[in-house]
Amino acid sequence: MILLEPHNTIIVTTLNDKLLKPATLDVQFVDYDGVRFHLSTPDRKVANIIHLSMNIRCWNELVRYGANEVLQREYGSLILDAPEADYNVTLQLDLEQIPQDQESRDAFIMSIALFKRNALAAPFERAFETQKELESSSSTSEGDLMEIHYRDEEAIYIRAAADRVTVIFSTQFKEETDRIFGKVFLQEFVDARRQPSCQNAPQVLYNNREPPLELRHLSGLQNTEDTGYVTFVLFPRHFGNATTAGGTISHIQLFRDYLHYHIKCSKAYMHSRMRHRVAEFQKVLNRAKTEVATTDRKTASGRTMLVR
Amino acid sequence: MSNVLRPYLAAVRSTLTAALTLENFPSQLVERHNKPEVECGTSKEVLLNPLMISRNENERVLIEPSVNSIRLSIKIKQADEIERILCHKFTRFMMQRAESFIVLRRKPVKGYDISFLITNTHTETMLKHKIVDFIIQFMEEVDKEISEMKLSLNSRARIVAESYLTAFNT
Amino acid sequence: MSVLAPIICDNGTGYSKIGFAGNSDPSFVFPTAIATRGQAAQASRAGPQIPSKPGHLASKRGVEDLDFFIGDEALANAKTPGYGVHYPIRHGMIENWDHMERYWEQTIFKYLRAEPEDHYFLLTEPPLNPPENREQTAEIFFESFNIKGLYIAVQAVLALAASWSSNRVTDRTLTGTVIDSGDGVTHVIPCAEGYVIGSAIKHIPIAGRDISQFVLNLLRERGEMAAVPPEDQLRVAGKVKENYSYVCQDIVKEFRKYDAEPYKYFERFEGEHSVTNRKYGIDVGYERFLAPEIFFNPEIYSSDFLTPLPEIVDDVIQQSPIDVRRGLYKNIVLSGGSTMFQHFGQRLKRDLKQLVDRRLDTGTGAQKSSGVEVDVISHKRQRYAVWYGGSLMASLPDFYSFCHTKEQYDEIGPSICRRYQIFGSAT
Repeated sequence: MILLEPHNTIIVTTLNDKLLKPATLDVQFVDYDGVRFHLSTPDRKVANIIHLSMNIRCWNELVRYGANEVLQREYGSLILDAPEADYNVTLQLDLEQIPQDQESRDAFIMSIALFKRNALAAPFERAFETQKELESSSSTSEGDLMEIHYRDEEAIYIRAAADRVTVIFSTQFKEETDRIFGKVFLQEFVDARRQPSCQNAPQVLYNNREPPLELRHLSGLQNTEDTGYVTFVLFPRHFGNATTAGGTISHIQLFRDYLHYHIKCSKAYMHSRMRHRVAEFQKVLNRAKTEVATTDRKTASGRTMLVR
Repeated sequence: MSNVLRPYLAAVRSTLTAALTLENFPSQLVERHNKPEVECGTSKEVLLNPLMISRNENERVLIEPSVNSIRLSIKIKQADEIERILCHKFTRFMMQRAESFIVLRRKPVKGYDISFLITNTHTETMLKHKIVDFIIQFMEEVDKEISEMKLSLNSRARIVAESYLTAFNT
Repeated sequence: MSVLAPIICDNGTGYSKIGFAGNSDPSFVFPTAIATRGQAAQASRAGPQIPSKPGHLASKRGVEDLDFFIGDEALANAKTPGYGVHYPIRHGMIENWDHMERYWEQTIFKYLRAEPEDHYFLLTEPPLNPPENREQTAEIFFESFNIKGLYIAVQAVLALAASWSSNRVTDRTLTGTVIDSGDGVTHVIPCAEGYVIGSAIKHIPIAGRDISQFVLNLLRERGEMAAVPPEDQLRVAGKVKENYSYVCQDIVKEFRKYDAEPYKYFERFEGEHSVTNRKYGIDVGYERFLAPEIFFNPEIYSSDFLTPLPEIVDDVIQQSPIDVRRGLYKNIVLSGGSTMFQHFGQRLKRDLKQLVDRRLDTGTGAQKSSGVEVDVISHKRQRYAVWYGGSLMASLPDFYSFCHTKEQYDEIGPSICRRYQIFGSAT
């Protein structure tokens, strides 16, 4: 698995399970970036009505950038007016209303599993629209800077201009090893455009410590050795039509998780290399050991004593 | 083995072989104790002069002999931040498993990356030249391993970046 | 900031149970299997592949170690050329750390979709797990995954904790005997105040797999299996075991009952051929009560293991220190899928009680024993008892203070995991 998937696996498996044999249900689980889900049947007797609630840290910001409209468009009447307590938004699903044939059923469940992705898509979609407006009015001004504080110490900044949309991730590495590995990875992101296969990819810039020009005016930015800023410059070809725009949004949302996933995978790979190497060294050292004749030692009752 | 490294390793090998002349030596201070003198350092007269073999300021070996034990500490080449962290990870991983590496010290001597402690019991139960072989082979391969790890990290990073960015085209 | 739920990972020999604390069921239950590229033989000599010069992207060289599947997907890919299936855990202990690390990696990122840096983890270990294994586990979780905190609990203790959910349990004690019967082997484990009494543990080589085989033998003997295609037979036997079996109180009476009114007690099992979809059906009879009977009368199945389960339990408790024996008799807890048979608990309790009473009666002398209370506790969460116990423990507010945190790990190193703290018990 190289790329991460945009949908939530637990939602898919649980809903598929319940379609086969409806039963009461009450589970809580998470998704990347501290998103919490609660999937439950609110009424014990009615097993076919399922509530899916979501809590996102940056919900208020997302609402400001049009998350409600996007979710309304995607889920329509499924959204409950009053979300469950402690959660930001709740969907109500009726298992009996779910399409019967396999194909549309899968599509429906998948759309539910993209709940978090859709909520987080709002600011991106708005930025893409702003870019179109600016382009048609051929103005040189720039759209508003949108801030999404999706984690405690990290944020996404999005700004539209006439010819591009800039997405900036602030990154923070908690650990020394991660920071150094992360630097190597981010440097490769910057350099990757030289590869012929990535010619059409968005341009990537990376600043360590220093926030890029777009963010200089913001206050409260961290300025330590651990922080960095990754800038993606998206050109209209990345969001020209609806499909590519959708793909780009799902993809860019998961940037941070993708990066951290691969840092962790690399560490796991290093571990397996080291295990192998250490075993080899062990063999070399064992060659130095001389054979020691072992005699069976017996206890008084005649049992063999083992030295372990 | 690269040719540039050979004289350095040859020097370590002959010094170590010469230093590995150990004998059983009970503690002079505490009755019925028998400790590696180089570690406790309580009786000065049984310690020999420590010896440092240095290739450059980043690569050196310190050999501290005594009557019943020698301590050998290695500073491994670390060109940059990445090599430093990889070296640290690797030596720590190995020292974590010191139990099975009888001659390995659980902590390095200050200023070095990894230390070995060879006592007279080791030289009595194990083949001396094979122990030396082990140390030399370790020194030879640890450099190689670290640079390979660094290479593989870089190539991984490249693939990861490419796969992420090419996905934008579809 | 709201704290995200801790992740509970119970990796067993056969199946892994994974989910979030606070839930009553694990989110995922799948085989502890990993399908990797390259066959098993090559792994020993060559070691991890050294990536060659970074070349064209299509070949994706250098990230071969990401090319693998776990769980059900692993088994589905078993036949794909180039993949080999491995089981990293044997007899409850982790054998292949490389595979296990990658197994965890995908569990977290693909299935749970959790950022390990934000979560606490509760892992389980078998009794008598060597401390080195805990250290290696801690090393993986703290160094590779940077998790916030880790607690490693003994499976048997979690099974005891799971029994707190039963309404028959009034005091939350961690003293008791755990009978843990999974697919491969059955353990009888005595625990005193949260610590396993290692010297008294006993294993019984009869578990789920043997019961299925036994059912299969019985059905074959009665000629029922003739209608079932050979490749489906074991699966059918497994289904019969799961759906129709129960423990009877008296075998002879039960046989008579069946012979008198076969139509009342015989069940019909309908199956479908997995490939051709041809329908078939078999009559399920004596298998229903004979299947779990092999715990109580092992001689009907095996010729080399003959001690019935109640006797083993009694032996185990008699080998434990005298001052905890009462507690062990009083709180016998069942865990694992193969203890799910109806009336299993009652039968065990009755047989054990008889054993104990007989011994008390033979005791001569002036003092007469006041009797020993024997109780076997079955509860609703028995199947995934260990996981459920973990979920219960990790949702206690105390949990966080008993975890080893990342800061402590960085300060002291993997050896912190040698220390093991008990918590949650009311006593």
